[in-house]
Amino acid sequence: MSDENSLALLALGPAGAAGLYWALYRYYRNTDKSHAFERETRVEAKPVTGSDTKIGTNNGTQDKRIEGDNVREYRRRVQAIRRPAKVHQEGEIHE
Amino acid sequence: MSAANTPPGYTGPGSPQDVPPRPGELGVDPAALPPAIRDELQAPDPVALDTAAPELKDGVNRCPKCGASDIRQKPGSDLLICVYCHNEWSGERVEERYGFGEGIDQLDGTTVASGARDIAADAAVLVTFKCSGCGANVTINTQSEMTARCHWCRHVFGVNEQVPNGAVPDAVLPFHVMKDDAVSRIRQFVQKRRLFALKEFKEQFTPENVSAVYLPYMIVDARASVDIAGKGEIQTRSYTRGEGNNRRTYYDADVYQIGRHVDFTVDDLPLESSRDRGNLDTHANTNNIINTILPFDTKNAVKWNASYLRGCSTEKRDLDVSQLQPRLVDQLQSIARAQVEASVNRYDRGVRWEQEGIEVRGTRWVAMYLPVWLYSYQQPGAGMLHYIAVNGRTGETMGSVPVQQWKLLLTALTVGTFLESIVLWILAHTS
Repeated sequence: MSDENSLALLALGPAGAAGLYWALYRYYRNTDKSHAFERETRVEAKPVTGSDTKIGTNNGTQDKRIEGDNVREYRRRVQAIRRPAKVHQEGEIHE
Repeated sequence: MSAANTPPGYTGPGSPQDVPPRPGELGVDPAALPPAIRDELQAPDPVALDTAAPELKDGVNRCPKCGASDIRQKPGSDLLICVYCHNEWSGERVEERYGFGEGIDQLDGTTVASGARDIAADAAVLVTFKCSGCGANVTINTQSEMTARCHWCRHVFGVNEQVPNGAVPDAVLPFHVMKDDAVSRIRQFVQKRRLFALKEFKEQFTPENVSAVYLPYMIVDARASVDIAGKGEIQTRSYTRGEGNNRRTYYDADVYQIGRHVDFTVDDLPLESSRDRGNLDTHANTNNIINTILPFDTKNAVKWNASYLRGCSTEKRDLDVSQLQPRLVDQLQSIARAQVEASVNRYDRGVRWEQEGIEVRGTRWVAMYLPVWLYSYQQPGAGMLHYIAVNGRTGETMGSVPVQQWKLLLTALTVGTFLESIVLWILAHTS
């Protein structure tokens, strides 16, 4: 067995202990819970419009996801723009 | 980008708009202005929707049949019942009465119902009524209760006039979940969390002490447009290089500049309008528990009538519309991000949103008391106040059970040690 794999196996004990502690703590204290207003509010949205322009490639990377992926982190704010950017509004998005 | 990673405060960096001025803050001293301008600046704001009930202004809710003032809510329903003649009648639903559910797609500017008006700085918490039966003065402390009985003639009073201290909302959603039901829900919730619960908590656990509380909320309808820009990647190839321990997987991807625009309306978004309840810092309090049992069926709220609150405690609203605006903007942006997610599904390596802008085109604010069964436990020492809350309409239950730290740590360490010993055994037998 390689050194790297051995180290990963050795980390199993501490990782398991920490994981169990946090899982149980959150089950009791529910510190991660809040009103899921994104899902639980009646929202009526017009069809989403926008644009998609290829600007380059990212070849030979070892990362499985894009750096800074925040597509599901709805509540994490990003840089605010005062006026809507002009790049959108080009057409309806169809999935 | 550190600012972008910080969760936004109510007026924090997450808000793309200017921080709203404090109530009454004009940026100039009105005293230095000509009288005409000063009068205009200091004139009261117009009330767009008047939900005040003139027939209840003297503080006495009378039975429409016999005129008695001893009115209660019929348990488990939206009906009011006269204790004297047992006549029953229903409160009027504000949704139809004031058209709160209509025209959200036409909202323009800020519309504030009369019960959600700004709180006057000099408004008194104590409200005194002159009893129409015997002339005695009866005082109600609106900080925690909304009804009282004249100790001379037993007339029952309720604070129904919309005094500008924030205590009287536009509407109230009466309790449907009965106390027995709430107690059994809390018992069931704790039953599933006994093993590592604090010993003192288990010993003192008496869910029968649960209290019925009406908490203040602003129910907001809004119309907004959001623009979001960022980058997304689509994988074009994956391959491995190297041999043995140096074997690595590599990916090739196309990078796209993405822009999205969405126009949407939101119906009945609830926001805590009590400063304390709106503070959801889980390191310092357990208010997130009460936040979690949202939403309520606010469509069924009835016109304000203090008789619904008999026997319940209340918490007074202490935040105005302008103070809640940043939180609304933040939540609208989050909703927009959730709405556009489906439109970027083809980016299988994910999307990094980098910029977002919002234009709130119209909002409508209605102040409401919502029913919550609340069980609280003060952890000894410097511990925090733990809540177990039951939604008084839907029965949704959430709670924070204090943890016996040494027990939980010991269990985690034992499991960790057990896992580690298996790992060591495997390593010893494979090398």
